[in-house]
Amino acid sequence: MNVDVKTSQRIADYEVLSPWADADPVPLRGLAPRPADLAGKKIGLFSNRKRAALLTLGAVERELLEKFPSAQTSWYECTTINTPEMLTEGKAKFVAWVGSVDAVVLSVAD
Amino acid sequence: MTDGRSAASNKGMPLVRIVPETVPCECSVKEDADAGIRSAMAHVIEALTKPLSAEEQAPKRKEKGTPSRIVFNGQLEEFDRFFYKRGWGDGLPLRPPTEAAVREMLAGTDLEPAHVVGEIVPRNGKATVEKIAVNAVMAGALPTHMPILIACVEAVADPRAHLGAYGTSTGSWMPFWIINGPVRNDARVNSGSGAMSPGDIANAAIGRTMGLIVKNVGGARKAIEDMGVYGNPGKYSCVTGENEEMSPWEPLHVEQGFARDESAVTLFFPNCYTQIWQYGSDDKGILATLIYNLPPGRSGLTCLLMTPTQAKTLARKGWTKPMIRKYVYEYGRVPAYRHPSFHDGGGWTGRSPETVPPNAMDSAAIVPSPDHIRLLVLGGPGAFMGLACGGGLPGGQFVTKRISLPSGWSKLVAKYRSLVPAYERY
Repeated sequence: MNVDVKTSQRIADYEVLSPWADADPVPLRGLAPRPADLAGKKIGLFSNRKRAALLTLGAVERELLEKFPSAQTSWYECTTINTPEMLTEGKAKFVAWVGSVDAVVLSVAD
Repeated sequence: MTDGRSAASNKGMPLVRIVPETVPCECSVKEDADAGIRSAMAHVIEALTKPLSAEEQAPKRKEKGTPSRIVFNGQLEEFDRFFYKRGWGDGLPLRPPTEAAVREMLAGTDLEPAHVVGEIVPRNGKATVEKIAVNAVMAGALPTHMPILIACVEAVADPRAHLGAYGTSTGSWMPFWIINGPVRNDARVNSGSGAMSPGDIANAAIGRTMGLIVKNVGGARKAIEDMGVYGNPGKYSCVTGENEEMSPWEPLHVEQGFARDESAVTLFFPNCYTQIWQYGSDDKGILATLIYNLPPGRSGLTCLLMTPTQAKTLARKGWTKPMIRKYVYEYGRVPAYRHPSFHDGGGWTGRSPETVPPNAMDSAAIVPSPDHIRLLVLGGPGAFMGLACGGGLPGGQFVTKRISLPSGWSKLVAKYRSLVPAYERY
């Protein structure tokens, strides 16, 4: 079969559709107000139950209390691994805990 | 850092303060954790106390124009490079999703193109029928694969499949697709010799399409959201049918609650697929192969792969699928010190601490329960068995979805029936 390569290339234009999907915009949220100083404050330490979480948050706790001896810490361990806490049965407990602390450090211990 | 930023944005907090540190992933050494945190501590304190900027208090959405439906017009090679550079491909050449090609693909469903089959995490992209068809064309799928692909999308969108964890995890988990029912033969899904090797359009293109959909619809992109350490070739395609005709037992989809004459697809996420030389061709040898080769480091959902010959051998001796599941659960054991849960108190294996044996030499079941085990009959002649072993997330399940066929299915099947390789003898 004789094919005119130049001609076939010229006519082989493709108008193609996008594979990238639409997504509804997620409502944006600002950050919670920051304390000016950690002295005398209660700092929350949130563990996602990955292997390194206790070690890293333990190190954070020691460093914090060394620098701010009047500060306190409060630990929280997630209810179900790899699941947003607000989607678990621990939601009410979590909300109460967040309300009881001045700031939170979350260790993404992966 | 990039995955943390992306995860925060997907939750509506694009400006959350993230402090990078140098603690090794999954660190279990106190000195390493202490050193990494000590060097990052000034930044942790700054993140906790630095006054918020106006944007941090009230982040503004970056305005993006309405995405264009038509994204490219040009020649084949330019198209491939255009898509590749936007991160829409998988590294292999793509077939252009033109209007005509997508229209042909849509012959495989009665659903409207705008119908949303599901939203796929982490980006919660809308998997419309048209987007499924576009990605199917790109992957080289046929219209007879569309009903299967729609069910596959329903499966990954089901929270019980835990795509949000498995699709982005450092564990490089691969979607393992098992197709049952009459659609296997209609769509020419291989369940015989070499079912999981390249060479069959259905087995290759269905998995490839789902890989593209997870990326282009779900937004799980390599090293941004998908943080798989080593990656996994199974993410290109890991698809098989069950060889129901040669199996002595009820098919997997019947075990999962569907009727034998229905078609269905089952999904779970192993991160390894291994093959083992059978210890013997009798029932004892076959079962020994399974229980002595379960890897304790996976310890979650597990699929036992066996040939029709091995399945018939077991069935002749009176073994049923439930009996084998129970046997493998009970006798697939290691000393506790060889099981990860012994070292981290349950941890990532998802076991509660009270179920972890207290002493190193206690006997520990590798798989959490018989319900974490399924059997699959496939493959050709030979003395190998297979194991596909997945993770153990709490509540994780084998997720099975019904495959609904469109009107005019027989005609569509007939149109593509002759599309099979005819290998020349040499």
